[in-house]
Amino acid sequence: MRRIVRLLGPAVLALAGAGNASAHHSFAIFDHSQTYLLKGKVRSFQWTNPHGYIDLEVREGPPGIDHYTLELTSINMLQRAGWKSTDVHPGDEVTAVVAPLRTGDSGGLLLELRMQDGRKLVPPVPAADTFKRSQQ
Amino acid sequence: MSIGIHGFARLAGAPLAALVGLLALGSAAAQAPPDLTGAWERYRGPAGDPATPPPESKPPLRAALLKQWEERRAAEREADARGEPIAKGYTHCIPEGFPTMMGGPFPLEIVQSRSQINIAQEAYSQLRRIYLGKPLPKPDDVEAGFYGHSVGAWQGDTLVVDTVGIKEYVTYRDAPHSPQLRVHERLHLVKPDILWDELTFEDPAVLEKPWTVTFAYRRMPNYEIIEYVCEDNREYADDKGVTRLRLQGQ
Repeated sequence: MRRIVRLLGPAVLALAGAGNASAHHSFAIFDHSQTYLLKGKVRSFQWTNPHGYIDLEVREGPPGIDHYTLELTSINMLQRAGWKSTDVHPGDEVTAVVAPLRTGDSGGLLLELRMQDGRKLVPPVPAADTFKRSQQ
Repeated sequence: MSIGIHGFARLAGAPLAALVGLLALGSAAAQAPPDLTGAWERYRGPAGDPATPPPESKPPLRAALLKQWEERRAAEREADARGEPIAKGYTHCIPEGFPTMMGGPFPLEIVQSRSQINIAQEAYSQLRRIYLGKPLPKPDDVEAGFYGHSVGAWQGDTLVVDTVGIKEYVTYRDAPHSPQLRVHERLHLVKPDILWDELTFEDPAVLEKPWTVTFAYRRMPNYEIIEYVCEDNREYADDKGVTRLRLQGQ
């Protein structure tokens, strides 16, 4: 499955891993109409339920953003999609595709994480294809 | 096991005790319940798939309650559209309880014995226990909880379960219920690896008629349930009850 994470598109993964989690948890706080592309260094990777989190020091992204909180799906969903708690470490240089908070605050939903070694990690976000990608 | 007419003819000379024993064995085998032990995930097949249950109807609540329920659903939709979803128990790390846990969102695990069947929902590590061959208590004799008190029995290949004692706070799809709610379930395999749970809500105080909801599950061979502790939800409810996200450094 881990291999599939790297090879398949996010919409396919969303179908594979979503179940009916969207009925369980609302994603309405996140903007479905645009995405941000953030480049920077991982400050922490929190492997917890009900969500994992990555705190990011942003080097490159929309103006005015120097740090960002990335919310991930449940770590159970991540594990079923092939993720491990050791996939991401503090200090890793990453590029993140995120659906930003609609409030404009420095946080958002992680849709895709590109690692410096070429790995592409895709959280199994339910209905991921409903998030319009504006920055790839 | 079945013994046809030719089998009886061959057994005609056998000692009576042996014959009785064989018949008893055959009867027991015919009555052996299916083995549901293992992990299951919600199943939603393609259109026209007979193993996919019919779509859910809205709860047949009494008129005044139905109006309140529909208004609440509309308010939730409007809050979502504004990007200000109303915080729910989930936001506070409170598990859904029964029967919502039977709907997912994560896999279920069934562990079956002769006297008891346990059903675990991976999300929040929820667990319900079904006691077989026990009488159903009256709702007033049960301290209401998240999972209620469940008793069950095998009727042929169908596990029939009745549950009372569910907290009024613990609802399915936000449909209100009274302390007298009784949920009647019929669990049976519709295919070797597809299980249905038909749940019927019986609560004349709030429902015009019984309300049936059916979930289908697909067997997950070799899947082992993963622990789930709601350890740190950075989502929280603000003073207006709106879901917010606690940010780095806050």
